[in-house]
Amino acid sequence: MAETGTFKCLRCGHEYEDKYTPKVPQERSCPKCGSNSVRRIGPK
Amino acid sequence: MMDVGRHPRIKLMAYSEIEHVSGFIGNFHVKVRKKARYVDESECTACNDCVKDCPVIVPDEYQQGLSSRKAIYIQLPQAVPSAYLIDMENCLGNNPIACGKCLDACEKKCIDFDMQDEIVNLEIGTIIVSTGMDVYDPTEMDEFGYRSFENVITSMEFERLICASGPTEGHFVRPTDHKLPKKIAFIQCVGSRSEKLGRNYCSNICCMNTIKDTLLLADHYPEVESKVFYIDIRAFGKGFEDLYMRSKESGVNYIRGIPGDVWEDPETKSLNLSVEDTTNGKVRIHEADMVVLSVGVEPRKDMKPLQQLLTLSSNADGFLLESHPKLKPVDSPTRGIFYAGCVESPKDVKDSVTQASAAASRASIILNAGKVTIEAITAVMDPDKCNFCGVCSRVCPYHAIEPADKKSGTYPNIIQAACAGCGTCAAECTMDAISMRHFTDAQMISQIDSILERNPMEKVVAFACNWCSYAGGDLAGTCRVQYPTNIQLIRTMCSGRVDEKFVIHAFKKGAPIVLVSGCHFSDCHYISAVQWTQRRVEKLWNRLERLGIRPERLQLEWISAAEGQRFGRVMRAIEEMRQKVTEEEVKETIEILKKEEEKERAKKVKREAALQPAAAV
Repeated sequence: MAETGTFKCLRCGHEYEDKYTPKVPQERSCPKCGSNSVRRIGPK
Repeated sequence: MMDVGRHPRIKLMAYSEIEHVSGFIGNFHVKVRKKARYVDESECTACNDCVKDCPVIVPDEYQQGLSSRKAIYIQLPQAVPSAYLIDMENCLGNNPIACGKCLDACEKKCIDFDMQDEIVNLEIGTIIVSTGMDVYDPTEMDEFGYRSFENVITSMEFERLICASGPTEGHFVRPTDHKLPKKIAFIQCVGSRSEKLGRNYCSNICCMNTIKDTLLLADHYPEVESKVFYIDIRAFGKGFEDLYMRSKESGVNYIRGIPGDVWEDPETKSLNLSVEDTTNGKVRIHEADMVVLSVGVEPRKDMKPLQQLLTLSSNADGFLLESHPKLKPVDSPTRGIFYAGCVESPKDVKDSVTQASAAASRASIILNAGKVTIEAITAVMDPDKCNFCGVCSRVCPYHAIEPADKKSGTYPNIIQAACAGCGTCAAECTMDAISMRHFTDAQMISQIDSILERNPMEKVVAFACNWCSYAGGDLAGTCRVQYPTNIQLIRTMCSGRVDEKFVIHAFKKGAPIVLVSGCHFSDCHYISAVQWTQRRVEKLWNRLERLGIRPERLQLEWISAAEGQRFGRVMRAIEEMRQKVTEEEVKETIEILKKEEEKERAKKVKREAALQPAAAV
């Protein structure tokens, strides 16, 4: 079941909200700089 | 197909489904469910007597629902074996028998309502996956009015209408009035090359299929006027350009532009298409008696279960991923499994036959040799260190590790022939019981030490996977893309091999930034190993944060072999990040990690001391 969470780019620091499914790894890229170092920092 | 059916060394199992696959190259165990046909296929002569008496009428799937079939039927005229089967969902004669007319009609008595599904276990050396494709259902594309207007049909429906064995016996007629249409419009790229629909790929066959259809119409019905609306025509194969030219010369009007709207004249049931001709920018309304939507190809809807059964991976479009796009285009990532046809990508008959021949050849090489030579990069187990946790067998994307059983004292068994050498098991094993040949912990650690031996503050330690990121670096080099030379790459076969301890060791040795880089999820050469990399890096980010180390100093990037420019961009951005890391921060990190190491060591000693009396007892 998809949930919404806050993600932070560890390269440019951009924070954004996106959907994710717990325990299912998904390729993410920062919408601002395109980096894949995107970390979920908490729920909505 | 007849040749296949008659061949003494080919066992054809039609109307069957694979339920389970285990084992590895040369030793696959396959469980097949042979579905009950309720008709003895060895006795049935396809005389058609049963069909005549069957009272049930349902839409015929093979004829795209344009005609009907009975509950006892043959799936397609060319079906092998040429034997009937009963569609039990619609049959009236089963439990309780309310009809049974086919039973009475069959002189040979080959109908058996008590027939059961049969489970067949096979021992198989190699597997070729050729499950074909589905076609796109354009119902969701409201602008073309499929399902709203009867005279809007798909290219598959057109195929049935014009075919001699089709519902109209090859007489091409319009669905509404059963008369020959005078004007036909073909719309290309329906369900292909569309970002909006999430289908960016070209379906490969639609352009030539439409060209063939226009030529068929021109030959059979010269009075019919055909118009083709397209984005661009892709006639790239041998003789294809000639066909395209012939179609144009036969009077077919090719208009570059896709209709934005299609509407129907309620009286005549003819259709109007509003199209911008992109060669002159003018919007025109075109009339047509019939519209044919040239629908794209898509992966089969039941692909996922098959993929899981055979441990295969798919690309972003959903087609199965080959082992190597250039050097092993018919091999799957799992040894001993090969692809043929549209299961791998959309392709026409000729390409499918070419690939099938190659797959058969690849498979028979293995079968004839009776042995297989594998790369020496495989995992090896040290049973003395194993604690039976079972992580290794859970994370192996190839199911190459037979699980441990603590009760019986069975250690995990690594099947060397099935191991592809990604190293995920070695990276996940907390007991260091698994080692990767040629990529051992000692070899990896000494590479890190060597990089950080001098001026560690100026270095970036980058782990790059062999197939994608490292190759992306190679491409950057050959394309003369500039990137900082202080970023030093450590090649691993897969990013899944990058153990937590390698990253921590690099920070302990004074690395300002560590980069873990691998394939994009859809390109992973080791099925799902890259997903374990992401999990591990996320775990490391949490651990670093807990220890008071900035998680930003551990970077994660997915770079494909074709992304040389991106490789350069990423490396330049990471170098900028490195310049912002201060010497104090690195020193503090080293101190933190040293303290943590001491704590861990003390804990271990305490744990071992606690175990001592129990051992003595």
